[in-house]
Amino acid sequence: MNLAFANPGRFLAFIRFAIPWLAACGAVITAIGFYAAFAYAPADYQQGETVRIMYIHVPSAWLSTACYGIMALSSIGTLVWRHPLADVSAKAIAPIGAAFTFLCLLTGSLWGKPMWGTWWVWDARLTSVLVLFLIYCGILALWNAYEDPARAGRSAAVMTLVGAINLPIVKFSVDWWNTLHQPASVFRMGGPTIDKSMLWPLLLVAIGITLVVLALHFAAMRNEILRRRVRTLSILAANHEMKGIVE
Amino acid sequence: MIDDPHFGFILAAYMAGFVVFSVLLLWIILDYKKQKQLLAMLEASGARRRSEGDKR
Repeated sequence: MNLAFANPGRFLAFIRFAIPWLAACGAVITAIGFYAAFAYAPADYQQGETVRIMYIHVPSAWLSTACYGIMALSSIGTLVWRHPLADVSAKAIAPIGAAFTFLCLLTGSLWGKPMWGTWWVWDARLTSVLVLFLIYCGILALWNAYEDPARAGRSAAVMTLVGAINLPIVKFSVDWWNTLHQPASVFRMGGPTIDKSMLWPLLLVAIGITLVVLALHFAAMRNEILRRRVRTLSILAANHEMKGIVE
Repeated sequence: MIDDPHFGFILAAYMAGFVVFSVLLLWIILDYKKQKQLLAMLEASGARRRSEGDKR
């Protein structure tokens, strides 16, 4: 599988088939999840209707770290195996991860104001997610700092792997430090503490959005492959013109 | 739910999600169109990769 799609042409043929299916399945599952979240899931006994923000905030938070995980794995592919699509994958997922981290911070703030009485506190979870967003921004800036995508890919891969140390900090910040943010209630030892009536719509939304994000990732990878073809052809055309002038 | 005192916060969170997702989607679609257009222009001007040149 790893080598079968090492050829960008073969990979493009695969994603031409995969993107519509992933997007369609993701959209349907997300729609069912949101319908269940608003029509079937009850209001929280303490938070009331405000708990509905959870169905967008929590999947965004999961995706912010999952996208970084994909970027870190792709970076290992770039540095260790020099897989031709690894840095394409890392570059393509970076803006998507940054967007979901931004959305996580924004929806968290909109949830925090009515529940905590403040838009923001410098507690460990919120601060580590803000650091994650800043790392995404730094990696995006690094990608644009180099003319040569291969050099940019190697530099971004090193920065991504250094920044990956923040992932366990984000996950365990609520256990290691005393935070205003609640501890984990879904992915935890001993199983979820959240009621099933709220859990299954949340999981449906999370699975649906993840499929849509995979479709976006593949589409962004296709754009990056095309961008590199454009770059190669531009260089070849310029060389051809130069040769004509010299002759 | 509309009567809830915090309805504005719920609406704002979902609006933010819609806007962020739409911007992401639009950016990817427009980038795809731009790259296809550039590729078509280059190919029309006769530019070919070496691997494609060998095939001909």
